[in-house]
Amino acid sequence: VTGAPLKALLEANDPKFWDELAVRTRAASEMEVLLELSVWRQRGLKRLPDARTRPSPLRVALLGGYTFHPLATLLTQILHGDGLEMQLQVGDFDNYVAELTGPDGELQTFKPEVIVVLPGVERCRYGGAINDPRSKVEAEAVAVAAELLRWCQTGHDLTGAEFILANHLLPARDDLGEYRSRTAASDWTFRKLVNLELGLRLPPFGRICDVEFLCHRLGATACADARRWFESKQPGSPLFLVRLARELAWLIRHGRQTPRKVLVTDLDNTLWGGVLADDGLEGIELGSTSPRGEAFRAFQQFLHSLKQRGVLLAICSKNEEAIAFEALDRHPEMALRREDFAAMKINWQPKPDNLRVLADELGLGLDSFVFVDDNPAEIEIVRQFAPQVEAIRLGPDPADYIAQVQDARCFEPRAITAEDTLRAGQYRAEAQRRELRVASSDLESYLQSLEMVGTFRDIQAVDASRLAQLTQRTNQFNLTTRRRTEAEILGLERRADVVAFSFRLRDRFGDHGLIALLIAGAQDETLEVDTWLMSCRVLSRQVEETILNQLVSRAKERGFGRIRGVYLPTAKNGLVRELYPRLGFTPTVETPARCEWELVVKDYADRPSPIRLREGSLERE
Amino acid sequence: LRENDVLTRLQEVFDRLFVDPPKLRMDLAAAEVPEWDSAKHVELVMAVEQEFGVNLPVGELLGIQQVGDLVKLLAATVG
Repeated sequence: VTGAPLKALLEANDPKFWDELAVRTRAASEMEVLLELSVWRQRGLKRLPDARTRPSPLRVALLGGYTFHPLATLLTQILHGDGLEMQLQVGDFDNYVAELTGPDGELQTFKPEVIVVLPGVERCRYGGAINDPRSKVEAEAVAVAAELLRWCQTGHDLTGAEFILANHLLPARDDLGEYRSRTAASDWTFRKLVNLELGLRLPPFGRICDVEFLCHRLGATACADARRWFESKQPGSPLFLVRLARELAWLIRHGRQTPRKVLVTDLDNTLWGGVLADDGLEGIELGSTSPRGEAFRAFQQFLHSLKQRGVLLAICSKNEEAIAFEALDRHPEMALRREDFAAMKINWQPKPDNLRVLADELGLGLDSFVFVDDNPAEIEIVRQFAPQVEAIRLGPDPADYIAQVQDARCFEPRAITAEDTLRAGQYRAEAQRRELRVASSDLESYLQSLEMVGTFRDIQAVDASRLAQLTQRTNQFNLTTRRRTEAEILGLERRADVVAFSFRLRDRFGDHGLIALLIAGAQDETLEVDTWLMSCRVLSRQVEETILNQLVSRAKERGFGRIRGVYLPTAKNGLVRELYPRLGFTPTVETPARCEWELVVKDYADRPSPIRLREGSLERE
Repeated sequence: LRENDVLTRLQEVFDRLFVDPPKLRMDLAAAEVPEWDSAKHVELVMAVEQEFGVNLPVGELLGIQQVGDLVKLLAATVG
């Protein structure tokens, strides 16, 4: 059944073959099906070259205490289905320590961008007595984790690669009975201790492939496969291999795609049970009076927790606005109130149109939107007319809503930065600033009254995750839209041929946090600005001028004669098309795909700026 | 299970797993098929077990050098 349509398309040399293959790959949950699809991919590559433009293959190394066939085939196929090609180097069975730490091994020649390490569970065993004191066992667990992380650190130092480190499968059986939980020395407890240390000590260039969590979800007996271990050193059962490959593919993709930032929700039968206009404020199901009411309230509380993590909430509902506002303001059991929503469209317009208006109002692309609704027709129309939006159909049972949103995995953070937890307060502060702007008569006095203080910092490890996040999320004030992973950001630290710094801003209403990044590389006498991006929260604050002053002063210090600015147009960054000419640069190249400008360093005079730079801001902190 | 039936079903498995599936015969050796390397062998075993609904005992597979060995093993295991 799997093969027939693919066979027909391939024999007709129909390029739809590749779409069909991708759709089937995304839907497949069984190993046999994925392996067969992989064969079709190879057959396809032979006779029908994939005409779609795809990014160049990602170099991935897969190392560990196992053999990786068929895992490697599954991973390649799953990533292909997601539109990502991979050039894979597979390590030898249980040779990962040498491969990671060998000073002139194949790994360095290969230059992987991502290294996946699946450490063998055999090495994760406590060597002492079963009744050794807890402190002794814990020290050993710390040592096992620290050693593993040291190998990864060495591998990272040698290659600059991002790491995905798997933790350990927990045993499905043991002969200790309940004593397993009363001693730290059992495999059960010891592996949990090691896993805990791996996660808590993981450096910023790494991510955990949480095998413990995967097997907790699937059941350890379904994951373990002793026969396949003895026979061909497999990490687990076929079912487990598929789930593991899917998780690895997700981790590889996750840091490289536009994150979702906004959850847009429907109201009737989504935030509460029933139809507000028909049932009235007292008639809707919400809160502790009924099981369904509890489920709806729990869903609201879940959305509120997303908001606290930095996700913006918005409403898109076919309703009477006044009635909806009354419910949001006055219903005693409402866990979400009107002020929890960053934007609202409550009217009778088609939802795809409303979603576009919401995107404009929030200054975000539709591809950062997630839309939830219980009505299948609304989900369908959004999928058709606003396909960039991830549309999640809720229901039929409100008890499942939370899991349905969680399973879509739209809002899993790459890392939770200090900025994320600040965000709610920042939006409130922004409202206060708007009021002040109305009160101040002209822009200059308004900017002075903000009492802005800025700090420049070199690239450093503590900022890496936030800076990577900025490169991945910033679309509008972004001259070249080059995305970088945390590992790539860290690779810029203290490079002699690079000028790179971040900028942080606060004002009398609050701290904006880290809001701008500039990276420039030496090209002979000229310093070329590879990346210049800025959070849109601080537009029209003359931050641009402050940053240029800084760039020119650093260029002078390092003896560069010229600075070259590059602008690569995208659908979203029209805002900065005129940035360089506005700042006094002279045009040199102008094509539809790329514009360049230059500035002569010695002719530049510092531009006035209302931002006071903090004392010693050039120093490392 | 007759050996001929086993061979027919095996051919279907091979057709799904090989980019250029070999035409199976009892004396076809793994060494004659370039795609049939150790990695493919692991896939093949899993696919065969799935197709016939059996778990082949550990170690039995090392002995398989040609198609006939696999057919005999399956005919004996499935019964």
